[in-house]
Amino acid sequence: MMVSAQKKQVLTIWFENRFGKERLIPEQTFYLNGTDTLVINRFKYYVSHIQLTNTAGKTIVPENQYYLIDIADEKSTSVQITVPEGSYTGIQFLLGVDSSRNVSGVQTGALDPLNGMFWTWNSGYIMAKMEGTASSSMIAGKQFTYHIGGFRQHQQTARNIRLQTTPFHTSVTIVADAEKWLEGISIAKEPVCHSPGTLAVRIADNYSKMFSISVKE
Amino acid sequence: MRYPKTIVTILCLGILCTGWIQMGNYFRPTPIRFQVPKGWPQPLYNFKENPLTKEGIELGRQLFYDTRLSKDGSISCGTCHQQFGAFNTYDHNLSHGFNNSLTTRNAPGLFNLAWQKEFMWDGGINHLDLQPLAPITAENEMAESLAHVIQKLEKEKEYRKLFKAAFGDEAINTQRMTKALSQFLLTLVSSNSKYDRVKMGLDTFILPEKLGYEIFQKKCVSCHTEPFFTDFSYRNIGIPVDPFLKDLGRMKITGESKDSLKFRVPSLRNVMRTFPYGHDGRFFSVLSVMEHYRKNMVLSPTTDSLLKSRLSLSNFEIGQLTAFLYTLTDSSFLSNPAFAAPGKGISTTAPVDIHNN
Repeated sequence: MMVSAQKKQVLTIWFENRFGKERLIPEQTFYLNGTDTLVINRFKYYVSHIQLTNTAGKTIVPENQYYLIDIADEKSTSVQITVPEGSYTGIQFLLGVDSSRNVSGVQTGALDPLNGMFWTWNSGYIMAKMEGTASSSMIAGKQFTYHIGGFRQHQQTARNIRLQTTPFHTSVTIVADAEKWLEGISIAKEPVCHSPGTLAVRIADNYSKMFSISVKE
Repeated sequence: MRYPKTIVTILCLGILCTGWIQMGNYFRPTPIRFQVPKGWPQPLYNFKENPLTKEGIELGRQLFYDTRLSKDGSISCGTCHQQFGAFNTYDHNLSHGFNNSLTTRNAPGLFNLAWQKEFMWDGGINHLDLQPLAPITAENEMAESLAHVIQKLEKEKEYRKLFKAAFGDEAINTQRMTKALSQFLLTLVSSNSKYDRVKMGLDTFILPEKLGYEIFQKKCVSCHTEPFFTDFSYRNIGIPVDPFLKDLGRMKITGESKDSLKFRVPSLRNVMRTFPYGHDGRFFSVLSVMEHYRKNMVLSPTTDSLLKSRLSLSNFEIGQLTAFLYTLTDSSFLSNPAFAAPGKGISTTAPVDIHNN
């Protein structure tokens, strides 16, 4: 064998879920725009197609895996990937599930439909889900439920996320701010999104801006 | 010795293989070839990703007829998809679901699914393997969660054995369950009606059937296209919206108003057995469907262009068409013991397949 095996290392990506500046904890109360009282019970999203950019500007493409980040499951909020040893300044990933996996039948692991992130009546993944109650909600139980999905043209809700930071080696933290979902969304008028379409796309545009990155090594 | 290395290698491999087999890793299910009826196109289902095996089909059949797939153990797939009705819900406009609920649409017959790209009256489901998830989880059907179904199956020794026989080990998951169901469903091919025998030169139409076929080719065939008797498209045939169901059909999936009130063209194979008709089963006879086409259609902007001036049908034509439609009943399909609940077939001998003898 002529190819010398490049040294590998494990990189841990932590997903820190927040609401504004506060840590997002299920059942805890948050305030929105100073007027609305919010409780978030469910907050889940798919992450896939993770890529890294090293300090030399080279893109590293690890084998693709699908991860379901879920605030109710502590284990799910850190992701470990094996990468060539080195120093990285950029990370990109797909928030959601690529179109091809939406049309290829029943998948396993994080993509297993039993995880409750799949629409059975209109085939396709829910890319991200947020559910809770809000004082401004006008529906039963003061609920709001945002199940955001859609992979067809004009309905696409998967988003490419690119983040840049100072060099990191074995660990990096990605902050996801749930408050960003609600920018320009009126819970009073639009408390529910359960199908692909314009509202789903608007919220997807919002959540594409919810991530930031920090290095704590 | 000229080939000492080769001999040693073969011996080593032989020992390894024996060890592997003895460790219980030996897995070779019996492959089943999917028989494409003569003159039919190649199927759309990707058999490479889910090759048919005797063991997989048998597991699928067990699952299809197992009421444990529902929340209270009262409903199986076969409850609403009955073989004697070509796997529709016989004589029911809507089907009965969990806790005295009703479905919102008529359960269609199940056959020739290997050639079908999308499922449900609105085409919302894009893969056969995904189809069972909808009725299993719908509150007004089997009302069960997938996680719970898997748990229930895992508890059964018999199922662990069947999954191992079909997939190589005892692991049970959604993908394996639905692949097995697909394997069984794919075997439901209906291609042995009198019409098929006539097409193959093995039989002849009597006069009304022959006249009916000629009328059919003039007035029906552009949507109910042979050999499937559907072109799998979505069309508005002027059925006005039910004020309670408020079902807009295909529009629910695409979100586009041009698809309002469009539903998938149903196959007419076994049509005399699949009554009632229409997406919500509002027509209880073929005659009332004919009346709809010639008199009762409600025209709207999305009404199909072929039906803008309804469909002219004389009483005579309706009679002949009906005679022809009877030739689409495939009695060997309706009584094939391979499709019946395990141990419950009405016949014990497999019927003759005109495409495979």
